[in-house]
Amino acid sequence: MMKKNEQNEPLLSVRDLTIHYITDDGVVRAVNGISFDLNHGETMGLVGETGAGKTTAALGLMQLVPDPPGKIVSGSVKFAGKELIGLGKLRMRLFRGKEMSMIFQDPMTALNPVITVGEQVAEVIRIHNKVSVKEAVKQAAEMLETVGISSERMGDYPHQFSGGMKQRVVIAIALACNPHLIIADEPTTALDVTIQAQVLELMNRLQEKYNTAMLLITHDLGVVAEICDKVAIMYAGQIVESGSLEDIYEDTRHPYTKGLFGSLPRLSSKLHRLSPIYGLMPDPTDLPKGCSFAPRCPNRCKACEERMPENHEVSPGHFVRCVLYDADRQ
Amino acid sequence: MEQKKKKHSQLREIWRRLKKNRLAVFGLCVLILLVFLAVFADVIAPYGYDEQNYAETLQFPSWKHWMGTDNFGRDILSRVIYGTRISLQIGFISLTGGALVGCILGAVAGFFGGAVDTVIMRFTDILMSIPRTVLAIAIATTLGPGLTNAMIAVAISSVPNFARVVRASTLTVKDQEFVEAARSIGASNARIIFRYIFPNVMAPIIVQATLGVGTAIILAASLSFLGLGIQPPTPEWGAMLSAARTYMRDYWYMVTFPGLAIMLTVLALNLFGDGLRDALDPKLKK
Repeated sequence: MMKKNEQNEPLLSVRDLTIHYITDDGVVRAVNGISFDLNHGETMGLVGETGAGKTTAALGLMQLVPDPPGKIVSGSVKFAGKELIGLGKLRMRLFRGKEMSMIFQDPMTALNPVITVGEQVAEVIRIHNKVSVKEAVKQAAEMLETVGISSERMGDYPHQFSGGMKQRVVIAIALACNPHLIIADEPTTALDVTIQAQVLELMNRLQEKYNTAMLLITHDLGVVAEICDKVAIMYAGQIVESGSLEDIYEDTRHPYTKGLFGSLPRLSSKLHRLSPIYGLMPDPTDLPKGCSFAPRCPNRCKACEERMPENHEVSPGHFVRCVLYDADRQ
Repeated sequence: MEQKKKKHSQLREIWRRLKKNRLAVFGLCVLILLVFLAVFADVIAPYGYDEQNYAETLQFPSWKHWMGTDNFGRDILSRVIYGTRISLQIGFISLTGGALVGCILGAVAGFFGGAVDTVIMRFTDILMSIPRTVLAIAIATTLGPGLTNAMIAVAISSVPNFARVVRASTLTVKDQEFVEAARSIGASNARIIFRYIFPNVMAPIIVQATLGVGTAIILAASLSFLGLGIQPPTPEWGAMLSAARTYMRDYWYMVTFPGLAIMLTVLALNLFGDGLRDALDPKLKK
């Protein structure tokens, strides 16, 4: 029975993950009970505006939330059936880089400026695999070749590379130990558009090659459409809508998601003005009692301000957290 | 093989940049000369450092005694040459000890923060609130005179400076993304400190260290001058100055040459240290 379950078990299973930052000015409720599943080889886009808690959620998965002031209040993160929250520091350290690794937003600052890129890639290999320096360097060279950097440049320092090339190095470091999961935190935001396309293409290719699952954090819906299988839309620390790519793009349900699409320019239709979402994201130290999107929502009603909306499964695998889909209203 | 070649070319690169700085090269030449004198003092010095000749006391500089002789008829040139050995030894050994302790304390305080930081930094604050010379005198008095004790005194008094400098730099480095990236690949705290923090705070450490060797030499000389450091007849520059000061009015050369030796050494160290800092900074690489 157990064996069978393991076969179908998702690679990553997050349940009610809640992360708060406890500061002198109050408790910042950055992530409020998010839940999602990610299978082997799957790509999920985590979309939301700045301050929605995307990065905090990612750090939470890696157990890297700066503590203090950050604190994982409750919830569970299961990776290949193993609970990560509460895992000892040492065991978690052996986990990072080997089983799951992270690609950072700004390649300019994510590399150590005084160590050669070759050494930096070899470092991950040395930490996790018991190999000689020579072997690690050899593997690092292969990895760099895979991401399109000639191994002749192994002895160069990060400042000798362009932004796109640096991001390739960061990707090489993330993939060096063949992790099952990659968390990419806005990997293309700091790059210009042509390089963005190259880097995304590279990530997609490598992901398929190694059958790695990826959690892509971004605020760019275009990027999501290009490479993701699943999408989760985050607002004020909650996932307000999640589902397959088609669910979200073709069958948009949540008013916030509709607002996001409404604020995108489209080539197909001539618009004078984009329709923005009015207002600002609520202060995370003082979230509304009911739905956090209610103050900005065009469809708000009395119920929105009174209670937290429930999560509704509107079609298989498509979840929406909004009172519009309450059973009694339909 | 290839890796080795790269390492070599990197050293060559640093050397190429250092060569451009003439003052630094001058400093380096003087330092090499001083190290050479210190190592081969037995061969180079025309007389033994404690060789007394009562027929030739208090002689002015001449061809026989380039820097003259002191009140015991000892050749001052020979004593200055032997003194190089003692001074460099004190300077480098005590500073290395002090820097090692200071850097580790500073990095630990800056990296971990919180209570660890408070305890370490308040302790260094206490040390810093006492003027360095006074602190060194106090330690030297407690431990008693002698070469080793003087080195310990100088080393302890240089710890707070290093701790401060390294802590400040660590604070700026530890919040950079590459440290977080290092955590995300599973690097341990020790690895992060030694591979990620230290190499990135090297520049201020080098500057502090080269200036520090100079200060350490002066401090050791001061201790000896006060009779708390190296004891006669060992030829230490500070001790020589101290012994010569009663003769200063009539025999100027007795204080001049040891004094010049101290000045030249410290100047060379400072010039070289400045040049080295510029050459080591990979961000200035063209």
